[in-house]
Amino acid sequence: MLDTLLSGQLLFAAAVLGALYALIGLGLNLVYGTMRLLNIAHGDFLMLGAYGAFWWFTLTGISPLIALPLIAAGGAGIGLALYALVFRKQLATGLAPAVIEARSLLLFFGVSVVIQNVTALLFSATPRAYRHLDTVYQIGQTAMTGNRIASLLVALAILGGVLVFLNRTLFGLEIKALIQHREAARIVGINVSRVQIVAIALGFGSAAIAGGLLSMTEQVTPFMGFRFTIAAFVVIIMGGLGNILGGIVAGFLLAVIEIYAVTLFSAEARSILIYGAFVAILLISPQGLLGRARR
Amino acid sequence: MLRRQLFGLMAGAAALAGISSPALATDPVRIGYTIARTGLFAAAAPSQEQAYTLWAEQVNAAGGLDVAGEMRPIEFVSYDDESDPAKAAQLYERLITSDNVDLLLAPWGTPHHLNVAGVVERYGFPMVGNTAASVMIREVQPGNIWFPTSAIPDQIGPALAQMLHEAGIQSVAILANVLPYSQENLQFLTPALQAQGIEILMSENYPPDISDMTPLLTQVRAAEPDAVLALTYPADAFLYTGQARELGIAPHLQFLLIGPTIDAFGKAFGPAADGIVTLAHWSPEQEAWPRARPFFDAYVARFDQEPDYLDSALAYMSVEILQQAVAQAGLDHDALRAAIANGTFDTINGEVRFDGVQNAITPTAFVQRQDGRMQLVWPPEIATAPLVTR
Repeated sequence: MLDTLLSGQLLFAAAVLGALYALIGLGLNLVYGTMRLLNIAHGDFLMLGAYGAFWWFTLTGISPLIALPLIAAGGAGIGLALYALVFRKQLATGLAPAVIEARSLLLFFGVSVVIQNVTALLFSATPRAYRHLDTVYQIGQTAMTGNRIASLLVALAILGGVLVFLNRTLFGLEIKALIQHREAARIVGINVSRVQIVAIALGFGSAAIAGGLLSMTEQVTPFMGFRFTIAAFVVIIMGGLGNILGGIVAGFLLAVIEIYAVTLFSAEARSILIYGAFVAILLISPQGLLGRARR
Repeated sequence: MLRRQLFGLMAGAAALAGISSPALATDPVRIGYTIARTGLFAAAAPSQEQAYTLWAEQVNAAGGLDVAGEMRPIEFVSYDDESDPAKAAQLYERLITSDNVDLLLAPWGTPHHLNVAGVVERYGFPMVGNTAASVMIREVQPGNIWFPTSAIPDQIGPALAQMLHEAGIQSVAILANVLPYSQENLQFLTPALQAQGIEILMSENYPPDISDMTPLLTQVRAAEPDAVLALTYPADAFLYTGQARELGIAPHLQFLLIGPTIDAFGKAFGPAADGIVTLAHWSPEQEAWPRARPFFDAYVARFDQEPDYLDSALAYMSVEILQQAVAQAGLDHDALRAAIANGTFDTINGEVRFDGVQNAITPTAFVQRQDGRMQLVWPPEIATAPLVTR
């Protein structure tokens, strides 16, 4: 058992899963943090990214990894259109964050249903899949499939890039300021709507990229997103709502629980272990792992 | 390809709306059904509905449905049951009482069939089922519903155990999804394996939303079984296959319950899917069934994908049975009921005859991907190729 627990195989599995969870949580967290929008359609944007990658590869035969910027731009574009048509007015009403949250939850529920069904109408609900980078590489005792290595590297690069952007650039600091204290950010002269637009683009774009990565290893259907919406919410609540670093840490923690706890106990106990840990963390630290009271 | 898909969709919509050949001047036969276009089962349902669409297009192109000698065009009346069995039952009631359809086709999935069975029984409206497979179908009141499937768990367990025994398999590792069909199969498979003297080295359940199987598969690899029996649903069939391949799990035989028969599975794994054994009782490779290959070719030409060897085949069998019964008996419910209950039908899966609610001819069978083709490998009387083990 100890051999198994210390094996590179489990570490690799946890790293791939954790990086994807963190990436999925990142987008949701940026949108929530800057605008208090609870995007329950987050997984559906991931699904759109997966379809983007599928069609790109099917029609061009070129690696979907090359098309990731295009896929991200598509996700960001749809996010921005939604923002311009629906949410900008909501946010401009000056309503209390709690009201915005409640309304956005319902609005995004509607968006989710529309996206799923339009996708099903356009492409049919038939599961889709393609074969890409499926060579298995053996490094020592650890076997790694090419598409899983690529997913890990791309997700890590985006997570790292976003962290650097948020902490090392003036614009990134403006985003963080808006997340930390909306009114104060406005008072010190931060252009709130510009920051919101960038947060939307990053949030929805990263969801689409996560979908593009997942399409290399999973079947693509119009209804694949819901599972990831749930995972994203678990991740960002565990990490502290709006806390970007906390969400990333929580993404990896969730994967570690999923991989190692299943190894120690049983796969059947997966949900009990994940949600047990989730509840335990919130009991000990009600604002999440790295969260703190927010205004 | 996208354009072709869109044209396909439009053509499909036109067919559904009954915009068929203008040469057919007589009143159409209105055929009703519901299907899971949204919700939990929506990804599984197109393989069934596309078989219906293909059939209607073929029949209309050939001059219409033979209704006891009169040729009439087919017009579908269909609803989305939102993957909700209770909603399906309500909608079938509406199809019968309000839409006044002439014939019914089946919805997708076992729970929907079981719910709709009560409705067709109440109204005495005969319906040939298709994608339902459970020992529970035997508890349905016989008379107005029939099930062409032979994929029933209490038959699958013994058949699979016998096939493994004859292939020289002495030990297995079992992984089972906790969803009903997998668990029903596990219930009958475990004693059947023991009866054949096959050692069960491990047997683990997993939840349907499992995201990574590496921990389970690490245990499987350490157990070194002769065969891995993964009682999967489609999503986890993909997960299992990709990650078992990554870990180099290469037993003499791998069996997956549900998943490898869908088109996307072959596209996802290509040659790596070769050798995988799964549940299905139909294959276009069986030359003794002359209708099998033309159905496969027409489906691929129409939808640019392979039919599901289980659901598409069953759906098409059900309409073939209905078509032949209607040709003989017309649309009168009593005459049609008698024709279905007593007839022998020529289908893409060979002859079908019902005994009560069940198909009395088609045996429980397994297929194996060999060089990208789905070959029947069990039972010997319908096998199209010998089972290949490593």
